[in-house]
Amino acid sequence: MLEDAEARPALEQANKEDWDDFLKTYYEKPQSTKTWSGFDLKEIYTPDDRKVSDYHKEVGDAGKFPFTRGIHRNMFRGRYWTRREVVGIGSPSDTHERAACCFKQGAMGMNTIADVTYEMGLDPDHPRARDEIGLTGVNVSSLKDMETLVGDIPLDKVSWSLITASTVAAATMAQYVAVAQNKGYDIARLRGSIQNDPIHFRYCGFKPACPLDLSVKLGSDVMEYCSRNMPKWYYTTVNMYDLREQGITAPQEIAFGFGIAMCYIDELIRRGLDIDEFAPRFTFYVSCHIDFFEEIAKIRAARRMWARLLKDKYGARDPRSMQFRFAVHTAGCSLLPQQPLNNLVRISFEALAAVLGGVQSLHCCSYDEPMCLPTEKGHIQALRTQQIIAYETGVTSVADPLGGSYFVESLTDKVEEEALMIMSEVDKLGGMEEAIRSEWLDRKFDEEAVKRQAEVDGGEKLLVGVNIFTSEPETETPLGVQRVSRLSTRQQIADCIKLKKTRDHSKLIDAIKRLREDAEENRNTIPAMIEATRAFATTAEMMGTIREAYGYSYDPMNVIESPFTFLSGVKKGKAL
Amino acid sequence: MNQRKIRVVVSKVGLDGHDRGAKVVASLLQKAGMEVVYLGMYQTVEGIVNAAVAEDADVIGVSYLSGEHLVFTPQIVAEMKKEGLDDVLFLVGGSFPPEDIPVMKEMGVHQVFRGGSLGEDIVRYIRENVRTKMQREEGS
Repeated sequence: MLEDAEARPALEQANKEDWDDFLKTYYEKPQSTKTWSGFDLKEIYTPDDRKVSDYHKEVGDAGKFPFTRGIHRNMFRGRYWTRREVVGIGSPSDTHERAACCFKQGAMGMNTIADVTYEMGLDPDHPRARDEIGLTGVNVSSLKDMETLVGDIPLDKVSWSLITASTVAAATMAQYVAVAQNKGYDIARLRGSIQNDPIHFRYCGFKPACPLDLSVKLGSDVMEYCSRNMPKWYYTTVNMYDLREQGITAPQEIAFGFGIAMCYIDELIRRGLDIDEFAPRFTFYVSCHIDFFEEIAKIRAARRMWARLLKDKYGARDPRSMQFRFAVHTAGCSLLPQQPLNNLVRISFEALAAVLGGVQSLHCCSYDEPMCLPTEKGHIQALRTQQIIAYETGVTSVADPLGGSYFVESLTDKVEEEALMIMSEVDKLGGMEEAIRSEWLDRKFDEEAVKRQAEVDGGEKLLVGVNIFTSEPETETPLGVQRVSRLSTRQQIADCIKLKKTRDHSKLIDAIKRLREDAEENRNTIPAMIEATRAFATTAEMMGTIREAYGYSYDPMNVIESPFTFLSGVKKGKAL
Repeated sequence: MNQRKIRVVVSKVGLDGHDRGAKVVASLLQKAGMEVVYLGMYQTVEGIVNAAVAEDADVIGVSYLSGEHLVFTPQIVAEMKKEGLDDVLFLVGGSFPPEDIPVMKEMGVHQVFRGGSLGEDIVRYIRENVRTKMQREEGS
């Protein structure tokens, strides 16, 4: 800049004012002493801020009730967290290729994510799906797609996380089991998880694809089936993360997430399962936002609250039922398209908070997520971030290294207190199902999102590159842009149409009839869906058949009719 | 002068369910004194343009977060042309690579606001660039 002769006079003229500003900046203090969620902080915390009469009762060592400090005695000395990346792009074979690439770079688990069309239970040949296949994940419509997605990855060795959040998770589970069995695996040995949290999907997806009664029913079908047949499988990952992404606070994240989790627990108990039979495989997906200490406190508070909830409210006796197991996804909504390389720094702090909080499994966002789907370079960089934390920083040696900090313990108490207050508010409304039905929860999300934007607009929350230290907008994405191949998506549509023409129709019809009957009789639908998948029934056909049995339209978009006209004579399910 | 409020149709299009940004923008435009018709999720291209016609909108704002912007933008522009909405402002918000901003402007988008945009910038842009129905009639 000083080399530039033209810039020099302007610089000299501006000099006096600039240096006055400089001096002001030199003496600048943080303008906010509140946490991200709005807790007022003191300038120092001392022993007086926590009156712990009984350490073992209120906090406890790692591995001991109430698990505030971690669910394992020796935490990462026993095993690192699972380093994952979320992958989902274009076709099943595109997605498989990226997954294989992540494994090669040191990923220890795989998350594959469904695209919007699959989440809504639409096949690629649906008129409203055609333009959006593979844009945000992968569409799996048949046994063949799932076979391609899995490829040669050993399902009894790799922990596979199937991210299908909606009611379609039941179909995903059936497709995965069908493929595993076809490949000769004993499903009792399959390791991994399925997101299967259809209630939350109402808030980041299409409500008509996830009616509340069907969400509880199908979500619980998966949980029941896996509890009884797949002891190494985690059958739900209650998605507190997506709730947080709506703009809510840390205590709200816990309270709303636990509220939804309790809807499933209550249903499984109604079905006659014992709490200790299924609770040890219950998991959560937690956000790590940018406020470092508040996120760590949130995780610690959640662990203590879950332990007490399961023990006191549900009467769990097995300590494993009381352990809050969670994966962290660093907060996508904290990332910005302005000065995008800054995102690498944000992600690092968020991931570090997750690790200091004692995470079981971690996905780091890719720095390029505010611009496009992760590029291969973005994915690898996100993995490297985890690897640097794991292998270089030394933070893995000691369990809960911040435990006992006057500040962190006090903030843990504060987050817990606030979250418990919100939970009792929900109780007074008649429980979470009622809070959902009355749209109380929708209103909360809307209110909080508007508040968050107002905080940035008003300068109350500072974001580098947005309302401080701004620069000229970038014209290029630093490490390139990920595009979805139109060729792949066209092939997906063609494959789906071909499959529907060439499969054995009598087998298909038998399988669909059985599925319809099981749904009508309110039996667990997973076995019939596995059978239907083997008969090459598609995702939309299975979901549509179940929807009709429950009195909903075959197609959530109300565009197409059921191809199974023979079912029109069958007695209709309960009316809406 | 009896000037009516600026009228904005805010919508999502297609199957993408990320509606936080669209809702927040709808709310802040309303607070800035504009009349907002929020269509919500799962709208079709025709549905959005028809709503703009029916509501006599001055501005259409569409939010994309799932990489569908290059698919729907030309469809919306074509539909706006077909319905004669030549002087309606077409604004786009959401997540997309900076490389695609000039592409969308070339297609006919007037302005683009990505994540991290400030409310006041969106409001100011609309106020400075909108031609209300009255101005349009005066101009014609």
